[in-house]
Amino acid sequence: MKTGTKLGIASLVLALGTAVLWFYLVHQVSLPDDRTPFVVAFLAASALGFAAYIKGTSLLGGLPPVVGILIGLFLPLTIYISPQVLEEGGAIKVGDTIPHFTAVDGNGETFDSDSLHGHLALIKFFRAHW
Amino acid sequence: MSTDLPEEIAEERHLHGLQARMLSDRQLAVTDKFGLRNTAYHSAPPGDDTEALPVPTTLLIDADGKVLWMDVSEDYQRRSDPSVVLAAMQQVFDAPQP
Repeated sequence: MKTGTKLGIASLVLALGTAVLWFYLVHQVSLPDDRTPFVVAFLAASALGFAAYIKGTSLLGGLPPVVGILIGLFLPLTIYISPQVLEEGGAIKVGDTIPHFTAVDGNGETFDSDSLHGHLALIKFFRAHW
Repeated sequence: MSTDLPEEIAEERHLHGLQARMLSDRQLAVTDKFGLRNTAYHSAPPGDDTEALPVPTTLLIDADGKVLWMDVSEDYQRRSDPSVVLAAMQQVFDAPQP
């Protein structure tokens, strides 16, 4: 087997293994604050992928490194764009009274925030299902 | 509260067995009332017409609608950890209400 092909397979295995752990932790809501080790692993997978092409791969052996490179570059990008920014001064804070609102639920029924009066409540804003 | 359409909520609710009342805020009208629109980079999958998303936030409110506790996730890859919210609920809701 060509050296490049071996490097390409290593790139794919490292990228996939790190991605599997990543998505498992996302699902568990337990990604660490410091994601440097993930970034290092993903970028290393990409580097291995590029090294594979430099060394030269067989025709089929050219496939694993491209996947390794794509995964290895994409997930660090998602870390880079993940910080959230609120409009300054506009956000609700502790001690404020919530604004009145209505919204439609999954059954098509309208919910009115007035119905919360007299009840302790937990309100959660999600990103979407995806 | 999310930007999911009501039918998407119905589907997801079924999928995850969620018990809470899930509300649709496609146009971010409620999100904007609370000032929780994320103004940073927003990516949407193909075919999704949402302009922006809320910053993931959990609020605990008292019987008069006053915010007793809140947690804003500055990073969408980490949301309010259930254990943090449960601890806050115990602390805030079990304390004598003023």
